[in-house]
Amino acid sequence: MKRRVNLDSFPTDLITEIFSRLPAKSVGRFRSLSKLWRVMLHRPYFTKLFLTRSSTRPRLLFAVERESEWCFFSLPQHHNPYDKSSLVVAAEVHTKFSKDTKQYSCSYASGLIYFPDMSVCNPITGQSLAKLRKYRKSTSFLGFDPIGKQFKVLASDRHRIMTLGTGEMSWRKIQCPFPHGYIIEGICINGVLYYLVYTYVKATDQETKLIVCFDVRSEKFKFINGKSFGFWGTKLINYKGKLGGIDWKFDGHSKTHKLCLWVLEDVEKQAWSKKVYTLPENEVVRNTFVLGMTNTGEIILSKMYTSKTSYIFYFNPESNTLQKVEIQGIGEDRGRVYAFVDH
Amino acid sequence: MSKSEKKIVLKSLDNEAFEVEKAVALQSQTIWVMCEDKCVGNEIPLENVTGQILAKVIDYCKKHAVVDGDGDESSEELKNWDTEFTKNMDQSTLFNMILAANYLNIKSLLNLTCQAVADKTKTIDEFHTFLNIENNFTPEEEAQICQENLWAFDD
Repeated sequence: MKRRVNLDSFPTDLITEIFSRLPAKSVGRFRSLSKLWRVMLHRPYFTKLFLTRSSTRPRLLFAVERESEWCFFSLPQHHNPYDKSSLVVAAEVHTKFSKDTKQYSCSYASGLIYFPDMSVCNPITGQSLAKLRKYRKSTSFLGFDPIGKQFKVLASDRHRIMTLGTGEMSWRKIQCPFPHGYIIEGICINGVLYYLVYTYVKATDQETKLIVCFDVRSEKFKFINGKSFGFWGTKLINYKGKLGGIDWKFDGHSKTHKLCLWVLEDVEKQAWSKKVYTLPENEVVRNTFVLGMTNTGEIILSKMYTSKTSYIFYFNPESNTLQKVEIQGIGEDRGRVYAFVDH
Repeated sequence: MSKSEKKIVLKSLDNEAFEVEKAVALQSQTIWVMCEDKCVGNEIPLENVTGQILAKVIDYCKKHAVVDGDGDESSEELKNWDTEFTKNMDQSTLFNMILAANYLNIKSLLNLTCQAVADKTKTIDEFHTFLNIENNFTPEEEAQICQENLWAFDD
C-alpha cells in the first residue's frame, strides 16, 4: 500500500515561507484566508520576511503627476540584459492621490511617501497615515529610524520635528546651528537624513552649499561642505549605504553627456571620492534626469515627462553600457515623473 | 575509499530504495549530519518522504551536484533546468516537495519549491483546498477584511 504524506498538517512556518514570496497584492488578499492567517500576515516578523524574501523586490516605485493627481506604479527594478523580453515591462498600478504640490517635491523613506501638503501615505495600499498641521511654505523630509522603527518628519527650514505614530502628534522645536537656506534635495539612508542646502554663512560672509546630515534617532545635526555640487540638478543617491551625489554635465567641447558621481567615503573626515562617467551615445540626452542608483550599482535615468511611449534607462558604470527599457501601462498623457529606487 | 563507501542507499517511507553517490546525497544537511554522526550504516531510512517524491529530490540533487561550482554559463543553465523541473509539477507534488526539502534540509530546493507554489497559486480557494485551511470567518467579518484590504482586491 502506498502511504501518502498528509498535507492537512502542513507546518505553519512553511506556509509563511510560501506567502513571503507572493506579490504584495496577494498577501493583502490572503489575509482573508482564515482568522489565524489574518493575524500572521499582519505581524512585523512577516513584513520583515516579505521584504527580504519576495522575488518581486526590490521594486522601482514610480509616480506620475498629471494636473495635481498622483498615480503610483511599481516596476521590477532589475532587468536581465541578456533577456530581450525584459526590455519591455508592464507597470503594476497601485494608487491615486489628489495633491496640489506645486514647488515642493515629495519625500520617501522606507515605503512611505510624504507629500508637501503634510500628509503621509502608503503608496501601495493607499492608506493615509497622518495628516499633519500645516506650516505655510516649508520644505520637509520624511526620515526613518531603523533602530527605534519610527518615522519622523523634519520641517527643516522651520527647525521643527514630529514623530509619527500613536498618540497625539505635535511639532517639537529642535536646535539647529545654521539658518535655513534654500533646500535643494534630500534622501534618507540608514537612519540619516541628508539634504543639500544653499545657505549664507556669517563667519565667511559667503553663500555656500552644505550637506546637512540629520540623525533621525538622536535628532542631531552635522554639516559637511557640499561646494563641489552644482546648483541645479544634483541628485542625492544611496551608494551602497553611503551618501552619493550625481551631477549631470554636458561637455560642450566634446559634445558628450557626463555623470559626475561623488561619494561620501568618510563623514568625520568629510572625504569625498569622485568619478566621472561619459554616457554612451543614445537618445537618452534631452530632458533626462537621474532617478537613483539601484542596490546593484546601476544608475537609473528617466525622461522628465511621460509621453506616448515612456522609457527608463539603466546605466551600468562598470561596463559603460546603457540599456533602454520600455514601460507600459502608465498612461500616454504628458505627466511629470518621480521615482524612488529600492522600494 | 572503496566503491561501496562512495555510494549510499536512501530508503523511502514506502520502502523504495535508491542507491546514490554520497556527494549527491550530502547536499541534504539532514543526511550529512546522520553520516557525520555515524549513527546509520550505508542505508538511510527517510520516514517522511515517499518514493515518488524522493526520486524527484534525487534528480534535483544529481543535477546540482554535477554542475555546482562551474562557470557562469552553467549557473544560467542550472536556472533554466530548475524552471523546467518545477514547471510541470502539480500543486500536490510541489507541496510534498516543500515538506521533503524542509525535512532533508536542502535550502536551495526549499527556496525553489516555495517560490514555485507562490508563482502558481493565485486564488484563496486554492490554499483552502490544498492546505485544508478552513475559512472560519462569518460573511460579515470576511466583508470587513476585504474592505480593510481593498487595495489588494481591485483588479
